[in-house]
Amino acid sequence: MKKKRSKLRNWRRLSQILCFILFLFLFIKTDYAGKDEIPYAVNILFRIDPFLAATASLATRTLIFLMWPSLIFIGLAFIFGRFFCGWVCPMGSLLDSCNNLIPHAHKGPVSRFHTLKYYLLGFLLFGAFFGLPIAGYLDPFSILVRGLAISVYPGLNVLATTFFTFTYQQMPEWINLVTEPVYGFLKATILPFRQNHFELAFLSLFILLLIFILEKLERRFFCRNICPVGALYAVVARFSMMRGKSGTKCGKCRNCVTLCRMGAIDEERNISSLDCNFCMDCVDLCPANKISFTFQHDGTAVPAFSIKRRTFLSSLAAGAVLPFFLNTRTMAKRPDPFLVRPPGALPEDEFLGRCVRCGECMKVCIGNGLQPTFLSGGLEGMFSPRLNARTGYCEFNCTLCGQVCPTGALTELTLAQKHVTKIGNIFFDKNRCLPFAKGIPCIVCEEHCPTPDKAIQFREAQVLNSNGEKVWVKQPYVIDERCIGCGICETKCPLPGQSAVRLTSAGESRNPQNALPAQSTLY
Amino acid sequence: MDRRDFLKQIMLWSAGITTAIPSFQIVPEILAAEKPSPLVSHATGKDYHKLVAQVLEPLGGISKFVNTGDNVVIKPNMAWDRNPAQAANTHPQVIKALVELSLDAGAKKIMVFDRTCNEERRCYVNSGIQEAMETVKDRRLKYFHPDSRKYVPVDIKRGKAVRQLSIYRDALEADTYINVPVAKHHSLSRLTLGLKNSMGVLGGDRGQMHHNLGQKLADLATVVRPKLTLIDATRILLRNGPQGGDIDDVRVMDTVIASADLVACDAYATTLFDLQPEDISSTVAAYNMGLGEMDLTRMKIIRA
Repeated sequence: MKKKRSKLRNWRRLSQILCFILFLFLFIKTDYAGKDEIPYAVNILFRIDPFLAATASLATRTLIFLMWPSLIFIGLAFIFGRFFCGWVCPMGSLLDSCNNLIPHAHKGPVSRFHTLKYYLLGFLLFGAFFGLPIAGYLDPFSILVRGLAISVYPGLNVLATTFFTFTYQQMPEWINLVTEPVYGFLKATILPFRQNHFELAFLSLFILLLIFILEKLERRFFCRNICPVGALYAVVARFSMMRGKSGTKCGKCRNCVTLCRMGAIDEERNISSLDCNFCMDCVDLCPANKISFTFQHDGTAVPAFSIKRRTFLSSLAAGAVLPFFLNTRTMAKRPDPFLVRPPGALPEDEFLGRCVRCGECMKVCIGNGLQPTFLSGGLEGMFSPRLNARTGYCEFNCTLCGQVCPTGALTELTLAQKHVTKIGNIFFDKNRCLPFAKGIPCIVCEEHCPTPDKAIQFREAQVLNSNGEKVWVKQPYVIDERCIGCGICETKCPLPGQSAVRLTSAGESRNPQNALPAQSTLY
Repeated sequence: MDRRDFLKQIMLWSAGITTAIPSFQIVPEILAAEKPSPLVSHATGKDYHKLVAQVLEPLGGISKFVNTGDNVVIKPNMAWDRNPAQAANTHPQVIKALVELSLDAGAKKIMVFDRTCNEERRCYVNSGIQEAMETVKDRRLKYFHPDSRKYVPVDIKRGKAVRQLSIYRDALEADTYINVPVAKHHSLSRLTLGLKNSMGVLGGDRGQMHHNLGQKLADLATVVRPKLTLIDATRILLRNGPQGGDIDDVRVMDTVIASADLVACDAYATTLFDLQPEDISSTVAAYNMGLGEMDLTRMKIIRA
């Protein structure tokens, strides 16, 4: 037996490992690191994604320049087909690494679900164009990064902190001599700087886990049947120059048919370039060394999409028609006032059209202010970022979210622009605010208000406190023209439960319909 | 309280005649009369690094406060994401000078930290203090972000407005605690000075300190007791405190003030703002608890 070809899949494994390490490195580096700018292209995974580039561009009817690197990968797909799925994709690498842990029910060539991804792709692209921006619900990188950022990474920190708090408080000194330096090292390298908390942490985790649970049905179920990025690559791969070629007079072992992780090899040992991800297992494991990948493929069968025309057209029609129903909801008339978008966010329609729900902005937000939206932005707005000012705020001198946004849904702002970008306005609830309601001095909000000329001011007033005594207190009020809606006042309000000062989207720069009386320019 | 009064209270209490716990309160006027008048030193100059050694000279130099082998905590105010010119944080050169003097005095370990109001890392960087610390090449210096596991609940036995506070362990255990606030405007307490700076060693929800702030700060000062307070008034923030942001609100004073008496140090610093010690509620509350002197005529003020 010749030995020369036994190493091909090891190269593929090496590539997967290196790409995954790079992915994790960039994920961890999606953070403030002592400089106002992030020095790495931490969002590169999304910018090389041709599917997201397509949906975001269709939604906004513009070519999004930020996403030009995706063209490189489209170009490469014309040569190497779906090699990305086998050699680069971090989601695919994760699924491959779990292969031995999850037994698969079905092995062998494609199942009846495998055309689903084309219908989904058509639906999502049409939907994007007509105004249903949900590409991020199914994009593998959105699911992965969002799940990691919102759930897994903070969870890892809970685990580490719990353990090292236990050793610190309960264990003898000599154990701490070991554990404390370990904790210090972990904190300096892989653990997050602080414990973040997120809404929808469980939902994000569940969606990510679902991809692994689906592995029980068949290997790489998501990649074979659902992944819209894979589907887009498959469309290109139909014309790819390099393809797998099986031998004509091989025996009957059918090894390759059952071991192909993508189900790309049929009973006649034709290797479909629509599904093959160049993992090279078949090449290395064919007992007769009959399989090879070449640029010459005369005689090999041209793969067919085998989609049903009627179903495909229906999915396109659904994508084209559903968006019109979005405007039947009350939120088209008056959006949720507590839906405060990050600074630099485009007007709502364009913002949602571009937002790929990757969670990068929430990962990088140093105030832990940005949270995934649940339903307040509509069914199509889930996982888009909003500022929940009670649990975190927008740091005055920080512009990181705009820097990491891969599609420009959040514009990259300079610090000077950020300082005057109004994302909302606050109001005081005088029934709760201590100087008004109880005659107790407080004005923590005024202390934290970051605009150089403070948006929160106070008046001294004499009120009755709960003992019936007349006391002088400082009562806060807001100057709308100065408030930029950072929400630090709501975060720091020392009342338990709901804050006495609340942030709403009123007056946000991006929406003139939402103007405050003081800014009104319409009349 | 005289001896007779004292014995009478003890007897009554022991005999169970009064259930009130005797409060052996020392009337501040008597205390002040008994104690030698505190020394407050101030110095003015453009070289902030030299200024620190200069202001400490009348007090006996740093070796009066830092002994060989001491664990030293130097507590700046670096609570805000503002740069040195904006006068919201202690000047980095002042901290650096204190660190170097303490190192020369033979400190075993020097810890520099603050619990910030804005994002921790941004405050350390923008205040310039992290960069200044990086230039001190000595392994005995540790500057770090507070570790949430290290706050310990402390009963404030003499507290009038608070019974318990959660305080950073290193601040409690230090041999020498040096308090290095920046003098600036604060809308609730009017000024923030030495007493207010100690809030940076508190854990938990600090917002509640704001209800009856003056007394609570004095209560805190009964357990967190700096051996030395050095107020940075090299530039002072006159309006829009405590974080400022507008250079027009800043006045350059090129002054530092130092004293072993925290209250006296605060009291003298009020004069830079054309205020009186009585205008600051924390100063008055701390004086009433006998924690230090606030009468400017009863302290020895030396220009170094």
